[in-house]
Amino acid sequence: MKKLILCTCNKTLTKWLDFARIEKEVGSTFESIHIHDALCLEEGLTFLDAEVSKDDTVVIGACTSQIIGVPLAERLKSELVSYVPLREHVAWVHKDDQKGATNKALVLLNDAAIHVDFLEPQTAVDIEMEKKVLIVGGGIAGLKVASDLLQLGIEVTLLEPPEFNSKDYLEKNQFMADSSTLKGVVKDLKTTSKGVKKVCGTISKLSGRAGLYSVSLKRDNGKEEEILVGAIIIATNSEHSPPSIAKMCHYGKTNQTLLLSELSTLIAKQTAKESKTIFVTQDPSYHDSSVAGSYLLREVTYAAEKGNTVIVAHSDIHTKDENLYRAARKSGVIFIRGSLEKVSKKKKGLVCRLENTLESQVREFTVDYLVLQTQLKPWSGTRPLADTLGLNLDREGFIKTRYAKMKPVQTSKRGIFIAGNAKTPMNLNDALASASNASLEVFKNLIADGERKGWIPVVDEELCDLCDACVEACPNDALRHEGDLIKHIPMNCEFCGICVSACPTRAIEFQSHSKDSWLTRIESIATKHKKLEGQKPFSLVYACSECANASIDQAGFAGKGYPTGSYVIQFPCAGMVSPIEILKGLVVGAEKIIVAHCPPGGCHHQTGDHLSELVVKFTQDMLKSIGQDPSRVKATYMIAALPNKMQEEVAHRG
Amino acid sequence: MDKRIQLLDAIRAIAVKTPMNDVEVPESVVGFGTIEYKAQTCSACKKCILACEPAALDMEDTLNMHDYLRVTVPQEGFRSKNREVLVTLLQNLKQDHDYGDVQAISVPEGLPGYGSIVWSAEQCIACDKCIEACPEDCLTLQKTYKLPEIIGPIEAPPPRTEGKDWEPFIVCFVCWECSHAAADLAGLMHLHYPASIRTIRLPCSGALEPIHIMTAMANGADGVLVTGCLLSECHYGGDSPKAGNFMQEGFVKFWSDIFEEIGIGGRLNIDFASAAMGIKFAEIVETFTEQIRKLGPTPIQAKTEVQE
Repeated sequence: MKKLILCTCNKTLTKWLDFARIEKEVGSTFESIHIHDALCLEEGLTFLDAEVSKDDTVVIGACTSQIIGVPLAERLKSELVSYVPLREHVAWVHKDDQKGATNKALVLLNDAAIHVDFLEPQTAVDIEMEKKVLIVGGGIAGLKVASDLLQLGIEVTLLEPPEFNSKDYLEKNQFMADSSTLKGVVKDLKTTSKGVKKVCGTISKLSGRAGLYSVSLKRDNGKEEEILVGAIIIATNSEHSPPSIAKMCHYGKTNQTLLLSELSTLIAKQTAKESKTIFVTQDPSYHDSSVAGSYLLREVTYAAEKGNTVIVAHSDIHTKDENLYRAARKSGVIFIRGSLEKVSKKKKGLVCRLENTLESQVREFTVDYLVLQTQLKPWSGTRPLADTLGLNLDREGFIKTRYAKMKPVQTSKRGIFIAGNAKTPMNLNDALASASNASLEVFKNLIADGERKGWIPVVDEELCDLCDACVEACPNDALRHEGDLIKHIPMNCEFCGICVSACPTRAIEFQSHSKDSWLTRIESIATKHKKLEGQKPFSLVYACSECANASIDQAGFAGKGYPTGSYVIQFPCAGMVSPIEILKGLVVGAEKIIVAHCPPGGCHHQTGDHLSELVVKFTQDMLKSIGQDPSRVKATYMIAALPNKMQEEVAHRG
Repeated sequence: MDKRIQLLDAIRAIAVKTPMNDVEVPESVVGFGTIEYKAQTCSACKKCILACEPAALDMEDTLNMHDYLRVTVPQEGFRSKNREVLVTLLQNLKQDHDYGDVQAISVPEGLPGYGSIVWSAEQCIACDKCIEACPEDCLTLQKTYKLPEIIGPIEAPPPRTEGKDWEPFIVCFVCWECSHAAADLAGLMHLHYPASIRTIRLPCSGALEPIHIMTAMANGADGVLVTGCLLSECHYGGDSPKAGNFMQEGFVKFWSDIFEEIGIGGRLNIDFASAAMGIKFAEIVETFTEQIRKLGPTPIQAKTEVQE
């Protein structure tokens, strides 16, 4: 039975919506209609227990699915349910127009009635997983992940790069913290990670899927080995590299010029009597990070405390720990703001000419040593590793996270994670925190029992041209061209529907969201709107179910009202919108179509924001070429933090 | 594919005027034609490009809006549902049905599933492979040869002046079955025909390749005559439409049309004589020599000049 259950939100919504009229006018669409006052409370849930059976299709007209959907997911016996957020999308945003709001509610309820007809039960996905983990890079973060996972009872293999040496823990990581802290942490980690299987070599090939990756290892002893793992964690290090001013400073030509990472070794060898003048300079073209800044301060303090005269020429030193700067001042380090202009080798030492930008004065220093602040770059093997594993890199060449805010330890590929300096240079505490975060995330993934469910794309072999458009578009490697088939890998799938918008032939259809379902729904909204509102213009908002939908909900919470005649259709991801849905909207008479996606670079499925912009641009070009106004179609981002976005986008119509 | 390029170069070398019209390809002639493309049904799957051996097809990041709007839905069957809907929607929005100024638009980089096929007439060997590979039936083979597009502009050579004692010089390809025997018989019968021909014996008239005709012309022949067994009596195929002389007849018709377009019309002919037709052979030579005599010496600057 098709049932409509409305909630008045403790009789508050009756002020803005005419429930009696709704009941009368949608009566014929549903087989039964119930109006409840508090669906989210126990009494409401008990009512639903009794009212809804497994075979019913249900439309819930209440608050946003973000709220009501949570308890209902557990209590509703039927899976075939469509939510109409009457509160956030209608009542709270159309407070001064009861008739218009009721009309809009009728249109949306009618749309939901059609939507539930297309719904299918979600598909349970094969979740077989290998409960073993491979960690790439045996630095501090790698050791931390290994020891965390060992404690959680997961079998771990630690892959160390060929050039790795156990002394590296201290030498290569000294930028992360002061040496005594570092020593303590390394010692602890070595103890807790005892028993970890260590392998030296590189990854030569990756196949399989998230949860069941087959990794080919090329070991240092020449042996090839293939191991099966459930997840991979990249915990590679950062490397010091000479700054762009290195050549000007005669680096490599004289042993009087050295890198910051070499300074502590030099100081350690010093005897008490040999006090030297050391000039430390930053590279003005390099944007200093807090990690590099803190490291610089620690090193110069150490050198000054040993009785040397230390001058630091800086443009911008970043640190999160101000005490480091205080300690440096206390130890007698001289800070000069300015950039090095020229360095000449003289008998008495290196003559460094510097323009002091505070005093506008050129000064010269004759020094024993010139020390260059290093740039922290990704491990030199990062790019080949990323190519083998199919990971994306960011602008600096570090491995890119999937979604900086919500998924900081996930990479662009499901089942592969990052920890510590693989992502960006980190100080010790951040690296350890990131490693713990990664190990918990992996643990959570691997022990996930229960099932993974979702609506998946289904490929029709008959209609498929094997054009690979879906394979290219899929951001998660969930579709592969194997032989004469396009194969779906459910464990890699994020159920975003981007593949469907890419398919030129309709050989790939998304469960519950078939192309026909969108076209029918768009048409019915227009028909119903015209019936109730006559000539009044209307616009359609194709909102992604993540950021954009949250933003529109927030507009309701924040009371950012907008005119009626604006209908939101929720897509799993804005990347699922193709020119067809947009043109359909225009054909049925919408004044404006807005495709709302997550902020640039912030798509929860990686590429949806960008793809929807492309689709809209392409559709605008088509409209232009047939002499239509392209400004009727727009792509924009909406985020929960900007509740007035919806108001701005649809309010143009007085 | 060097062979095709060689042939086209050879045609360009003997052309004395820029071809203006497409040439019809006779039914029996394979290897030459035009691939016609329906942009509106194409799913940009690149199957045809993969199938094309001479690399005559390529993908362009454009969408041919003009074709989209012109087509009648659903008469011109769409296999691709999405494309049909897209085309219908666009036509719906373009209500004035004036498609004159509709321009092709470019597909943004990174948007899969859209694109247009570009076909290069020069490389195409009309082999059908792309048509077989296309799942959306957007390609068809037309029996026309886009000669002007392929050959390009030709600079006319300076007119030639020949002495009064010019006599036609004709290369005559004879098959070594009937027509060679006919030539022998003509001799045995002491028949007289002009001394204009130099015969070259081939196993079958069907074995004559176009490059040989072009080479003869390029080297100063005033005309090329091809002779074979009587039609339906070819020793290599009999009355099969694939028999050597049937096939060559079609080809010679095709090459004659091309000769017409490139300014050397009438200088190529094919005729047939059985082993018993000595008289016919003499007549063929006589008629063709007369034809060439009327046309005058070849306008082609011969590559090789006979050394005194």
